[in-house]
Formats: sequence, C-alpha cells, structure tokens
Amino acid sequence: MSEKEKEPLFSKKNKKLITDPLSENNPVTVQVLGICSALAITVSIEQAVVMASSVLFVVATGNVVISLMRNLIPDRIRIIVQLVAAASLVIIVNEVLKAFLPDMAEKLSVFVGLIITNCILMGRYEAFAMANKPWPSFLDGIGNSLGYGWILVVVAFFREIFGAGKLAGFQLFGNSIADKANGIELTGLYKYGYLNNNFIILAPFALFCVAIIIWIQRSVNKNLIEN
Amino acid sequence: MVDYINIALKGIFSENMIFAYFLGMCSYLAVSKTVKTATGLGAAVIFVLGVTVPVNWLLENYVLKEGALAWLSDDFAQVDLSFLSFIMFIAVVAAIVQLVEMLVEKSAPALYGALGIFLPLIAVNCSILGGALFMQERQYSTIGEATVFAVSSGIGWFIAIVALAAIRERIKYSHVPAPLKGLGITFIITGLMGIAFMSFSGIL
Amino acid sequence: MKYDKNSNSYTIIFSVILVVVVGAALAAVAVGLKPIQDANGVIKKKMDILSALGIESTRKTANDLYDQYILEEESIVLNTKGEKIEGKAFDIDIQKEFRDKKISPEQRRFPLYVANIEGEKIFVLPMVGKGLWGPIWGNVAVKSDMSSIYGAKFDHKGETPGLGAEINKPFFYEQFKQESISENGAYKKIKIVKDGSGSQPGRVDGITGGTITSKGVEEMLDRTIQVYVNYFATLKQ
Repeated sequence: MSEKEKEPLFSKKNKKLITDPLSENNPVTVQVLGICSALAITVSIEQAVVMASSVLFVVATGNVVISLMRNLIPDRIRIIVQLVAAASLVIIVNEVLKAFLPDMAEKLSVFVGLIITNCILMGRYEAFAMANKPWPSFLDGIGNSLGYGWILVVVAFFREIFGAGKLAGFQLFGNSIADKANGIELTGLYKYGYLNNNFIILAPFALFCVAIIIWIQRSVNKNLIEN
Repeated sequence: MVDYINIALKGIFSENMIFAYFLGMCSYLAVSKTVKTATGLGAAVIFVLGVTVPVNWLLENYVLKEGALAWLSDDFAQVDLSFLSFIMFIAVVAAIVQLVEMLVEKSAPALYGALGIFLPLIAVNCSILGGALFMQERQYSTIGEATVFAVSSGIGWFIAIVALAAIRERIKYSHVPAPLKGLGITFIITGLMGIAFMSFSGIL
Repeated sequence: MKYDKNSNSYTIIFSVILVVVVGAALAAVAVGLKPIQDANGVIKKKMDILSALGIESTRKTANDLYDQYILEEESIVLNTKGEKIEGKAFDIDIQKEFRDKKISPEQRRFPLYVANIEGEKIFVLPMVGKGLWGPIWGNVAVKSDMSSIYGAKFDHKGETPGLGAEINKPFFYEQFKQESISENGAYKKIKIVKDGSGSQPGRVDGITGGTITSKGVEEMLDRTIQVYVNYFATLKQ
C-alpha cells in the first residue's frame, strides 16, 4: 500500500489557482463572466470594494461548502443545490450589509442580490468545487474573486477620480459644490473652471474602461487575442 | 394608463436592462454574434420575464413582504419574510423555466427547436432575477404595472441584443485592431449604443 | 450502510434536510440582525428631519442631535382636516400610507414635529409625493409665527440626474427660505415657475429641464401644507 503524498498547502499547483485568474484566466476579461455587476457599481471605489468583498465571501465560502458536500449531492439536483448555496450566502451578505453598512446597501441595492446570478459563482461551483477538495476550492474561490475584484477597483478608480473628483469619498481637487447661501465656495481646481466629467459617472464609460483594460491586456499577452 | 406608458417607455429606453443596468451581459455578449441567435435569445428573454416577474410579484405581495401573510390569519400580520426573497425568486425562475421548457417541447416542437436551447441559459441570466428584484425594490402596486415593466424590459433587452448582433455581423469585415477583436470591440460598441440610448432620458 | 446517492428516497431526504438547515440558518441571521437594521432606518428618518432645520448630522450623531433639538412630547399627528389625533409623530410612516392603495387620501395621517432652536419653536412638516420616475419627499421647517418658512430639504429616489435630481441641491431648496405657507392665516400656494419670476414672493424657480419633477414638488407642497395651515389656524384662535 503506497502512501499518498499530502500536497503542501501552497504548492505550485495551488499557487496557480490564485495567480491564474488575476490575469491569464481573468474571470471578467478572459472568461467573460461577472460582467453585469462589474460595470454597474463601479461608480466609486468604496462600492467596488464592498461588492468585490461580498463576491469573495460568497465564492470562497460556497466553494468550500460545495466541495465538502460534493460526494453527497445527488446528480439530479446538483444545479439546484448550487443555487441554494449561492442564494443563502448572498442573503447572509445582504442582511449583514443592511445592518452594518446601510448606506452602501442602499447604493448597491439590487446588485447584491444579483451576485447569485453572477456567472462566476455557478461557473466555479460547477467547474471546480464539485470536483476538487475543499482547500484547493477555497484557493480557487479567492483567486477568481481577486481577479474579478481588481478589475472592479481599477474601473472604479478612474470613474471616481475623473467623474466625481473624489477618491474613496475624499474630494481630490477641491470643493465642487457651491452653496452661496451658507458661504461655501468653490475651491481648488474648480475655481478655475475645471468641471467633473459627469459622463464618466454614467454607465457607458464603464464599458469603455473595461475595453481599454482588455486592449492593454491582450496587447501584452498575445495568446489571448481572438481570431 | 399614463402610468403604464411611463413604465413601458422607461423599461425599453431610458432604463434599458442592458444599457442602463448591464443586466444579462454574459449571454448578451456570447449570443450576439449573429442576428438569428440574438433574436431567439431576445424573444426567450421577453417571454421568461413576462411570466416570472408577475408570478414573483404575487409571491412578494402575498407571502414575502411585511404583513403580506395577513390573508392567512391576522396573527401573521407582523411577519416579514422578505429576507427569503432571493431564494424564492430564483427558485421560481428556475422552476418556471423548467416547466416552460417541458411544455414547449411537448406542445410546440418547432418553437422548441428555435428557443429551446436558450431556456436553461436564461434561468441564471442576471436580467431575469434583476427584473424580479427591481419589481420588488420599486414596489409596483398592481400586477399590471409589474407585467408592463417585465415585458417592456424584455423588449428593451431584445432591441439591444439584436442591434448589437446586426452591428457585429458587419464588423467582421472591418479592420479592428487585433487586441480589440471580439470582446473588446463589442464592449466599445455597447458603450456607444448606451450613450445613444441615454438621449431618451431627457425626452419626458 | 451503503446508500445510493442518486436514488429517489435519498434525493428527497437530502432536499428536506437542506431546506430545513438553510431555512433555519437564514431565519436566525435575519432575526438576529433585524434590530440593527431597524435602528438604521430610524436614524435615517431623524437625519432627514434635522437637515430641514439646517442641522447637519451623521449616523453617529443623529440620535443625540434629534433628542437635543426635537421636542418629542409636542410632536403630534393630524388627520386630513388638520385636527389633532392620537399618536406620536415619529411612528407614522407617510411614505407607506401614500403608496398603500388600501388607505384612501382621507385616511392619511400627518405628523408634525416641533423643534427648539435657540429658544424659538420651529415646526417641521414632512411630506411625500410623486416625481417623474419615482417617489420624492421632503421636510419643510416653519418658524414660530406658523407662516414663514425656516428651511426646506427635498430628496428623490430616481429622478433624472442633472435635471429633476437637482431638487436636492442647495440652489433649489434654499429658495424656500424666502417663502411662507400662509398669508394672514389663510393658506397661500407656493408656485414653482418656469418663467424666471422665482424671486417674487409666492414663487420659486423650478429646475430647467426638470419640469415634471418640479411640478411634483409643487403638488406635494400644495396637498400637504394645507392640512397644517388648517391646524395652525386653530392654534391661533
């Protein structure tokens, strides 16, 4: 009887689970998953971070739970069980947000619920967690969430700075809203006529931003170019 | 009546599921390569939205929201089951799609041939669940309003995907920079169409 | 014990256990967190009332500032005729009553808050209405003469950005500081106009391009303020 060698926690194979989705196999720009929320809530870095963290919790925890149960789930109801797992975790995230970050919960509104249908989730549960052990599944969940998350943060970074003149809520270029009645004046760059580019805050720019990221990514890594 | 027209115009134009909220992007990008498949998927979306949102409306108003269970017994007037919304909505959507698939396969094989393959794809399409969630958030007061919202959102989605497919069919013959081919240029086109659709918001 | 995970009985038992476990877990989370969520809603309401009085608050300071300035015992509830009825102002959810089709307009209730700002009694009139795309709401603060407006704040859910959405900007709501809700005790309607005559008394400039939202504000003010003017008239007798 031969001893099966226990794989070290952070073996090369396991490390790849985290690094691959960051660029080579990025969920958003390569696998084309999780686009919906990647675009809609990237108006501010704060929202992007909260959303990415929520997805991380649901994907990583879900991956582990599904992986632990993978030999117990009847084939016929496989997809339903995955959906139930996803929905339950999202409900927990939603309730926690409503309790501790109510303003964020209001801004994210329906998009928290839409994490359930975020293709990344079902994709990872079905493609990975159902066939792998809990620890690699956990790493896979983390990797994919980080890959998704950094795209969100980059897009939000540009949209918040150029669209609202803020970075994580802090006014960067001065005070942009005047309230003459209360003696609040325009300051900083705004005094010289600089205006926030409102268009960037609106939806379509997120698409352009991701397109630019894709352009850069594929120029650097020629393997990803579609023919 | 004006309310209905309001809701319909919003759903199709200024609050278009794709251009304003980016719901259903994954399948939108994947299936918009030809007009034929786009039409099939678009029609399926209109249909599924039109059926699931009203059913979910009934669920929301008679089971889930605070006080909704009052019709069962006065004791339940304080019960608030809204935290179960996500699970119940998605369960309803999955169940209805399954039912519809079976029905269509039995009764209209030709239709099944055209729409059938898209149906399972739609169950996890963000736009369907999104429709239910928006309906819940905006609290439409009658099932009529909810249905108008659902169908018009579906029509908006349909227009978006067919238009994109039409453009993509033509773009095959243009000179697109290699790194942008496929996904990249599709994003840009969608963005430009989104800007165009924004012009509708100032009309009213 | 050998079992076939794909057999019918296994599937059913598995599903039942899953439903029970999931249901219990979610219920526990929801019930456990509800008090905190409700507290958040209460704080938001207090922040809105305080802002009409020109008092800026954060989620942390709202409760204390509210207790400091608002006189709870004097905050009452009125019916559509402007008569005082039973109830505490803060308990009324006017947004809910406005949307509920089962409650007729005559049954709606009107909370009236009373604040003490540096010795002067200021009244706060909360109100809700319909904008172009969704609900709009606001709070109007009235001075102790029960006629001149001390301040006003409006907000909305989904009005058009840059157009109707501007009702929550200072340049719009600051105009109301020069207005009054009544003249010699009789209700005077505030008109929201498009022709630039907003500087005249009784008129306020609307938002260019946001006509329907502006009209919504006008209607909301008109419908709601009358009730309070009727009540104030009874006080003066």
